[in-house]
This record gives sequence, structure tokens and C-alpha cells, in this order.
Amino acid sequence: MRALHAVGRAALIAVPVLLISTFITFGLGALSDQNPAAAAMGETATQADIDRLNHEFGLDRPFLERYATWIGDAVTGDLGRSWFTHIPVAESIGQRLPVSLSIAALALLLAVVLGAAAGIGAALNAGGWFDRAVTAVSAALSTIPAFVAGIALIVVFSVLIPVFPAGGYVPPSQGVGPWLTYLMLPAVALSLDSAADLARQLRTGLVGTLRENYVTGAVVRGLGPRRVVFGHALRNGAGPAVAVLGLHVPRLIGGAVITETVFAMPGLGQLATTGALQGDVPVVQGTLLVAIALVLVSSVVVNVALARLRPGSGRTV
Amino acid sequence: MRALRLAVRLRPAKLALAVLGLVVVLMAVGDTIAPYDPLHQDTTAILAGPSAEHWLGTDYVGRDVLSRLLAGSRLSVVAAAEAVGLGLLLGVLPGLASVYFGRVFEWLSLRVMDGLMALPFIIFAIAVAALLGNGLHQAMFAVGVLLAPTFYRVTRAAAIGLRQAQYVEAGTLFGATRWRIVRTHVWQKVLPTVVVTTATAMAGALLVVSSLTFLGIGVQPPAPTWGGMLASDLGYLTQRPFGPVAPALLIIVTVAALNALADAIRDATGDGAPASAAPLHEEVPDAISAAVRR
Repeated sequence: MRALHAVGRAALIAVPVLLISTFITFGLGALSDQNPAAAAMGETATQADIDRLNHEFGLDRPFLERYATWIGDAVTGDLGRSWFTHIPVAESIGQRLPVSLSIAALALLLAVVLGAAAGIGAALNAGGWFDRAVTAVSAALSTIPAFVAGIALIVVFSVLIPVFPAGGYVPPSQGVGPWLTYLMLPAVALSLDSAADLARQLRTGLVGTLRENYVTGAVVRGLGPRRVVFGHALRNGAGPAVAVLGLHVPRLIGGAVITETVFAMPGLGQLATTGALQGDVPVVQGTLLVAIALVLVSSVVVNVALARLRPGSGRTV
Repeated sequence: MRALRLAVRLRPAKLALAVLGLVVVLMAVGDTIAPYDPLHQDTTAILAGPSAEHWLGTDYVGRDVLSRLLAGSRLSVVAAAEAVGLGLLLGVLPGLASVYFGRVFEWLSLRVMDGLMALPFIIFAIAVAALLGNGLHQAMFAVGVLLAPTFYRVTRAAAIGLRQAQYVEAGTLFGATRWRIVRTHVWQKVLPTVVVTTATAMAGALLVVSSLTFLGIGVQPPAPTWGGMLASDLGYLTQRPFGPVAPALLIIVTVAALNALADAIRDATGDGAPASAAPLHEEVPDAISAAVRR
């Protein structure tokens, strides 16, 4: 029940946030003088063409009415049509979303696994060589943008030692093995920054927790190190790390857009970038709306998970 | 101000400032000391490795990499500074105003900032470039707007902390105007935090600029930028696998120096902004997590 309440309250915040952020985006679109005729026909468009296409796409109606229609249609899954190809935007996004989500999800998984291993290892060995190595490497990794890491990975693992493909995408329906082979390099590139941050936060949290009296008590009672760390310390020491993880989810979604461009994958990034370069407003607005929705949903999920992980966190603050 | 002077004396800060100073100098005089025109195509040396004529080699149409890097520095750094400047303006002033200008403005500005925080940087910048025209100023306008919540939050947090401080209360009792309180007391407290945030925001903005120019957003092709150079190198990795090293290193070193500077100031001031050297949106308590914890 408590979790349900938490979801409800979070949704109450998320919906206005979604409305405001989409309103800002839509307002920018209305302020600009972009129109489908100019976008599709360029200089050759006559005033009659412009008026006809503006009417077809409903651009001759008042701004607020257009926003209301757009957001109302969006709720039912209709994001309008591309000014260029006239393909429904929702359909294009539906084709590309799995690519971007695969990269982001695999990167999240890698970040959790790598970050947790490095962070726990460093905390248990605080002050030792492994701890210092983790600190140094994670500080270095957080200055490397994902697309630079991606290029470096291509140079090493596709050009110098050809083990992974340098780009492209195969859907999981054609075999999970090939799918993972194509996803591996982009996901690793995208995960590095989050893994580093997670390791740092987990190390700091755990080092503090391991000094607590109840941990000493558990050791004195004769519990093995595994039980002490995973049964007692981790649950309390992981809080900041999980919170940081929540912040990284939007970053992973945004980062997937660039990483997939490095690896020439047909994802949301390619859709948004080509849309932007052509001035295809509905495509870009639709992509942005989906990205915002993803960010908000993941934010709600992470926060509810956080509340469940540490029952005490619901009472404090 | 004292804290800032203290920070500058720390060794990591000196090193970071030296690196940043070098980048700024290269940016300012880059095109006069560049050995070639960044757009000049030397068709006799295409995709050449480092040599006496071309210290960092040439790219796929024979343009000198060193000259392009120098010319690209100005575009990249100026663009990032533009975004951070806009973020400062749109963040710090409303942050102060939200504490002193009454409840309605406070509520409204908090909601708008929450809305902005939900927008992913890159995708929003792409969208704005699509809507307002594909130029670096348009994209930087978008990035600046999205940087505003970070500045808004740190300023607001510092100002709220001061509202209750006894010396501020004493100042008010002695008849100091609200403007004077903000100018003398609040500004002293807010400044180190804002400087730390500016440095991390600059690092984040540089990463966003290079990401966007890598995607081809905000620049017209022949103009050199750090990200654009990486994008063109990407197509010729088999011929020139170490081509991306120079622009990538330049980005990484500059970003690392900015982060190190921020860390040094934070260490010297003791409190400063929360969180690590990682870039944007670090100071959480956003509305959603607050709602869940309530």
C-alpha cells in the first residue's frame, strides 16, 4: 500500500512537470516560423502551397487549441505525422525505441555490475591499492564523454583487434547472441561514466557504514565477512548510490542518442538528428515527448525502489 | 572572496588554472599561430600521419589537424561559455528572487525549474536546433536554459539558509534594505557555490557542445569544431586509427581541469556545492523524490 501511495504522489508531481516541459517545447515550435511547406519544398513553395499544407497539418488554428489537440492525441498514442514522409511519428518512434532502450538498459546493467563490484571491493580494501586504483580510474572515466569512449572502443576492439562489429544493429528476434555482440561496445561506452560514479558513491557509503557499531557487533558475533557486508552493511550503505543511479537514468537515455550515432545504429538519436537537420518539427517534438516521459517514469520507479530499499527513508526528512 | 583566493593557492587548482589558461590563450591567438588555413585542403597529403609539415597529421581531405584543432577551440569554448552565461543569468537571479519575492513567484519558479530538469540535454538541444534553425547559438540557448535549474537550486539553497541567520536579522533590524542584504551578505555566501557550479557547468557544457557538434547540430560542415573533427575521423578509423586521439585528449584535459578547479574551490570553502565532479543535475532533491519520501 505504501508503495502505491508513493507512486500516486510521484505521478501527481510528474504529470504537471510533463505538461510544463511539453508546453515549453511546443511553444518554441509555435514561435519559430517553421512550416511543412518550407521544410518539404524549400524555396520553391508558393504561398498557396504553404497555406494548403498549413491547413492540412492544422497550423492555421490558434496555438492553445493546437497544443491541447497535440497533447490529447499524444495520450492516445498519436504523435502526428512527419512533414516530410507523412509517416506517423509514433510508428517511426516505435521502430527505433527498442534500439535505444536496449543500449540504455544494457548500459544500466553493466554500470550496476561494474560499479557495485568496484565500489564494494574498494570499500573492503579502503586505503589499499585496489581502492586507490578504483578512485583514480573512476575520476578519469568521468571526464570522458560517452561518444569519445565509444570511438576509443571501436579503435581497440574493431580496428586493432577485430572482435566486435564497429557498428550496426541486429534485433533480438534474429538471435540473442548477435544482438548482444552489436550492443556490447555501445553499452560499455555508455556505462563507464555511470559505473564510475556508482563505484565512488558506493565506496563512500560503505566505508562509513562499515565503521558503525552494528557492523562491529555483527563481526563480534562471529558472522562471516560475506554475511556482514551483504546482509548488514550494503543495505544501509547503498542509499546514496541508488539515488545517484536514479539521476543517471535520464543521462543514459540522453547518452544513448549519441552513442548509437557513433555506432551507426538506427535508434531515436538518428531519428531526432535527421528530423532536426530537415526541420521536421513533429518528429522532433514526438521524440522529445517520449524522452521526457521515459525520464519521468524511470525517476518515479527509482524513487519508489529507493523508498522500498530503505524503509527508514520514508520516515526521515 | 577569501575562500576563492585560498583555493587558487592549492596545487591542483594551480595546475588546473595553468591548463585552462593555455586553452584560453590557444583559443585567442589560435588562428594567428596556426601553421595552415583550417579549411585549406592539401591534396598531396591525405590522411597523413604526424610529420614535420603536419605535426598532428591531416584529415580525409588533407586539412591540417593542428590548425583545425586551434580554430575549433574558439568555437567550442565560446559556445560553452555562452550557454553557461545564460544558465547563470536564468538561474541565479530567479534563485534569489524565489527567496525574496513572495510565495507566488517561488511556487511558479519551482514548477518551471522542475519541468526544465525533466528535459534531457542533448535531445532538447536537438529539438531547439530543429525549431529555431540549426545554429550553435540556438543550440546553446537550449543548453543554457537547461543549465539554469542547477544554478537556481544552489543559489536558492544558499539564500534560504541565510534568511534565518542572526547577522542577517541584525542587519535588517539596523534598517538595512533588502537589496543591501542581498548585495553584501547573501552574495558573499552564494559566490563560492556559484563559482563551483560555474566550473562544473562549463565542463558539462563543453561535453554537450562537443556531443552536439559531433552529431552535426549547430555547425555547418566545413567549420572546424572538436566534436565535428571526431565525427569525420570516425569514418577513417581503418586508415588512421589514432586520428581521434588529439581532439579527444583536448576535450578530456579541458573538462578534467575544470572539474579539478571546482573540486579545489569546494575543498577550500568547506561547504560549497554538493556532489562529485560528475557534470550536470547533481543536486537532486527534485520534486519526485521529495513526493516519494514525504
